[in-house]
This record gives sequence, C-alpha cells and structure tokens, in this order.
Amino acid sequence: MNLQTIVNSLISDTVTTSLPLFKPELVLCVTIVVLLVTRLFPGLNKIPPFAIALLGGIVALWASLPAGGIADWAKIERQELFTGMLTYDAVTAFIRVFLMAFAVLFIVLARLTGLADREDGQDFYCLAFGSIIGMCIMASANHLLTLFLGVEMASVPSYVLSGVVKGRRRSSEAALKYAVYGAGTAGVMLYGVSLLAGILGSAHLPTMAQQLVEFDIAGKLAEGDQYMQVLVLALGGLMLGVGLAFKLSAVPFHFWCPDVFEGASAEVDGFLSVASKAAALALLVRVGIGFGHVPGETPESVAAAARPTATVQLAAAAADVPPAVRLIADEAPVTDGDAETADAAADTGPLSPVRSFFVQVVGIVSVITCTFGNLAAYGQKNIKRMLAYSTIAHAGYMMMPVAAAVALVGRDQAAAGDAVSSMLLYAAFYLFMNLGAFAIIAFLRNSMQSEQIDDYAGLIGRSPLVALCLTGILVSLVGIPPMAGFIGKFRIFQSLVEAGGPLMMFMLVAAGLNTAISLVYYLRVCKTVCIDSPPDTSRPVALGFFASAYVLALSLPVLAFGILPNSIAQWAQAATAGLFG
Amino acid sequence: MHHFMLANLLTEPVGVAHYMAVGAVLFVCGVLCMALKRNALGVLMGIELVLNGANLNFIAFGSRFLRGEGQGLGLDGPLMALFVIVLAAAEAAVALAIVLNFYNNYDSVDIDRADQLQG
Repeated sequence: MNLQTIVNSLISDTVTTSLPLFKPELVLCVTIVVLLVTRLFPGLNKIPPFAIALLGGIVALWASLPAGGIADWAKIERQELFTGMLTYDAVTAFIRVFLMAFAVLFIVLARLTGLADREDGQDFYCLAFGSIIGMCIMASANHLLTLFLGVEMASVPSYVLSGVVKGRRRSSEAALKYAVYGAGTAGVMLYGVSLLAGILGSAHLPTMAQQLVEFDIAGKLAEGDQYMQVLVLALGGLMLGVGLAFKLSAVPFHFWCPDVFEGASAEVDGFLSVASKAAALALLVRVGIGFGHVPGETPESVAAAARPTATVQLAAAAADVPPAVRLIADEAPVTDGDAETADAAADTGPLSPVRSFFVQVVGIVSVITCTFGNLAAYGQKNIKRMLAYSTIAHAGYMMMPVAAAVALVGRDQAAAGDAVSSMLLYAAFYLFMNLGAFAIIAFLRNSMQSEQIDDYAGLIGRSPLVALCLTGILVSLVGIPPMAGFIGKFRIFQSLVEAGGPLMMFMLVAAGLNTAISLVYYLRVCKTVCIDSPPDTSRPVALGFFASAYVLALSLPVLAFGILPNSIAQWAQAATAGLFG
Repeated sequence: MHHFMLANLLTEPVGVAHYMAVGAVLFVCGVLCMALKRNALGVLMGIELVLNGANLNFIAFGSRFLRGEGQGLGLDGPLMALFVIVLAAAEAAVALAIVLNFYNNYDSVDIDRADQLQG
C-alpha cells in the first residue's frame, strides 16, 4: 500500500462518511466565521448578529436531527468518524440534538435579557457556539486526543463567557477563578492521559480496551511484582477523572462552581449548568464504556469464552427467545440451568477490575457530591449561589446511573442501556428546569436589580406568572410528582435497583435521603415567593410579552413531561439501544 | 527492588523511563507552582509546566527509537503533543486576557485578592 492509496482512501472516507455526519458542528463553524466577517464590511454590519446566530443555530438543530426523523434513532449503527477520532451513534445524535436545541434557546435568552447587545453580540454568540462545538466533540470522543480537545474547546470559551460583563469586579473575579481552576485540572488530566496512552500503547479508546484485556490486570495483581504497572494505570485513570470531575463540578473539584455562578450572569450560569454538564456526563459515559467494554463483546460471548461447552447452548437459546418471552422467563422460578447461566453471567470478564474500579470511584464521588451540594445549599442568601449548589447536587444524581450502567455492562447490556437512557432523560428534563430557573432569575434581575432570595418575597402578588413558573420549576428540582423531575429521579433510582449490589443500594439510600434534605431549601424559596409578604421597598416587576412567553415555554414542558413523559422517554430509550454495538 | 530504580536510571542507556522522569519532575514543579504561587501569572506558568511535562511523555511514548517499532503510540504521540502546544497557546491567550481584566478591576494580579465571592 503506497502513500497515494492511503491518501485517497483517507479523502474518500472523510468526504463520504465523516463530514456528512459532522454537519451540525460544521454549520456552527460557518456561523462563527460569518458572524466575525460581517462585522468587517460596512454594508454587512447592519445585519443584526442575533439574526445570523439564530439562523445558524436553527440550521444546526435541523442538521442534527437524524435523516429518518427521531424514530430512526434505534436504527443508527455505531460508526467511527475521521479514522476513529470520533464515534457516531444514537447517544451522540441525542446529545447533539440536545445541545443544538439548547444553543437556540440560549441565544434567544441572551437577546431577550440584553446580555448580548448589538455592540458585542458577535463575540458572545461566537463564544457560545465555539463552546457548544467543543461539547459535541466531548460527547462523541473516541480517542484521548479528542477527549482532551473537546474538554478544552468547551472550557476555554466558557471562561470568557463567565467574565463577559465588563467592568464588574465580581464578574472578573469569577472568570479568573474559573480559568485558573479549569486550566490546572486540564493539565492534570492531560498528564493522566499521557500515562494511560503510554502504558496501553494506544490512545484510541476501543483499542485501549482491547489492550486492557491483554494486559490482564487480575493476573498482574496476583503475581505481585508487577503491581506497579497497575498502580500507574490506576493513577492515570484517577488523573483523567480529575478533569472530568472539574467539568461535572463533582466534589472535591467543585470549588469553582458557587463562586463562578455567583459572579457570572444568570444566563451564563444556565449555560454552564445545563449544556456543560450534559456534555461532561456524556463524556463520562464514553470513558466508562470505552475502558470497560470492548465493542461487539456481549456477556454471552464472554461467558462462552470462559465456559465453552454448556453455556454456548444456553446463550444461543437465550438469544433466540424474543425479548417479551425472556422477560417472562426471568420472572419464572429459577431452575438449575438458569442458576448456572446467572453464575456465568456474573461480572467475570477480563475487564471486570476496570469496571469495578470505575463504578466504585464514580459511585462514591456521586454520593459525596450529592450530599455536599444539598447540605451547602442550606444557608445561601443569593439565589444563583443556591442554584449552584443545587447544580452540584444534581451532578451527583446524574452520575449515579452512569456508575450503574458500567456495573451492568458485563451482565446485561439492555439494562445498562436503560441506565444510560435514564441519565439522558434526566438531562433533558434538567434543560427545561435549570434554563427556566436561570431565565427567571435573569429577567427578575433586569426588573428589580437584585438576586437575593429575600427580595423575592411576595413575588406572587407582583408577578403571578413568574412566581408560579419558578415554584413549579423548584418543585420539579426536588422531584415531587406530577413534575418532570419526579419521573427523571424515579428512572434513575430504578436503574440503581436494576444494577443491585451493596454499593448501588447505598447510593440509592443516599439519593433518597438527599431528596428529603433538598426539599427544605427549595421549598424555603417557594415559601418566600408565594407566602411571605413583600417588603415595603419592593419595586414593580414587569416582564415584556416575549420574556413571559419564553418563561412559559420553558416551564410548561416541566409539567407536561411530568404528566406525559412517554415520548421523550422513548427517544432516550431508542438513543441507547445501539450503545454497545 | 524498587529502591534501586534511580540508580538504574543513571546506569542504563537513555530510554522511555528517563524521559518520563523528566516529565514527572516538570509535572510536580508545575503543580507546586500552581498551588504555591500567589501571583496569577506564576500560576499560569505552573500550568504551562504541567502541560509540557505531559508533552514530554507523549513524545517519548511515540518515539520508535525508544520503544521499538509498533510498541508505543507511534505518530499519535507527537501529534497529540502538537495539538497540546496549540491548545496551550490558546488557553494562555484567554487566561492572560482574563488576568488583565482582573487587573483593571483590582489593580493587582494577586489571586488572594479574589475574595469577594465566598460563602
């Protein structure tokens, strides 16, 4: 094979396979260039940047929808783009639709609140789009280079976004803290990446999983004198986890979160808490499944390799049975043969040490994150700071199903897919809840120049619509029916039960207790808004028509999805059907 | 036999381990610099050291002279290092702009002055 053929096959692969599936990101890139170029020409700079950004965002959203509509998600097969740098599957497609929809909502919000004005609107939209492209790359990373590039591309513009309000001391302090923490954790993550890539001799995630199988961790640990290599591997994994924990604002790398949320403007907080977090969770899924699972491997095949005789027939028989029948079979009393299969299907694959390491680290961190976030939210007087701690707590809730999914990969891939889909579902609800909450905060800031919870007293008398929407959103964040948050949390708990085991039960109990704790501080805000009498100095609250419509458009789905969650739940389900192809 | 590791490094011909040792020293210096410097520019320099420590690892793991053909990262190593250099430049540009903005508001680049947001 000479150079000419390599180059030709590379070009044809890029042009025919990779670029068409990379359309939404390309549309955003073009929008950024157009936004920057139109400013240079005297005639073109009359076009409002908002119009260009909105057009670009909508085209990108349209391009991110799968060709056959959303119902086609289940049929998307896993593909590698750009010679294995990115992976394209239904999870990528789901997260991309999520991010593009968020981008459109976000630029509309920034326009309505006046954060992105005519003067520097271009910069604002460029930074937001650049960050969204980075998040798309995070969500589809299949190589350690794209993993790192995605994290950096998502982070660097958001440092600037958090300090985008010029001349405010707090805003510049927030940006400085965010940049220093972010760059520091990114450096540590890169060093961990270099260790992992060096030991396993590859940076391509599926190849690394293959190498891990050959690496034979259990054997090396048993031998005793080669434990150093395993130790370095674990160290590299933990350092990689530092970068992820920063993006997720998981304890102990959460210090930036409350400060940045208080200093940055509320719109940017919505951006950081929804889009950035969803992308980080998707990346966590990619890392967990990338290292803990070799593509194409099923529990049956692993078990068959381990026990070549009896299990093959059982596995073959199990594969022939349609899913509905298998469900009934699972409920039937366990016979001897079934017990043997269950035994063989227990997590014994060569990658099980990797999985259990990942599950334990993520599980314990998620419980601590969740508890810390909820306890620290108590005494907060600033609503943005309170919601920052609430974001930390929710990151903990959403990390739990990821741990459950990785724990289930070795046993039951359908259940593991369901666990990931519960995370995606919660992230989708979280978009409406948190963007809605921060939009209300931004509109209220514009009309009453305050972000203190006490100043919201008696809001129900001054602006009933906003008060009702805010109350609904907060109730949903607690997870009380009939709001969407309840369905999301219920699915997450279900996935923990499905995974079973002492750690998962501990996480379940911790999550349940945390929900009870969080009740107090969310409802305290609801009480202030709905029951307390307004202070004498209260200023009138006036929202324009578009602002009211925007708040309503984000709040109504929170109630609607709580009552009728089926359509969106089915999308999330379809998105994870082919995750382990 | 781990206590003899450093002695081995001094007697063996230069290999991956030597590069990794230098990289690790750079990494530790960088982390210490980030943790101990009170000047924001010093912290940024620490971050550069950490990134370059990782870069040195990538180069060593990618080199076919150090690890033999088909053993290490191959071309991925130097390519990742190149991308990291570009990213480090972009990150430094943004971070310096943010530090300048901070200086305009506080008349100082001492990160201990960034104490308005806490609680």
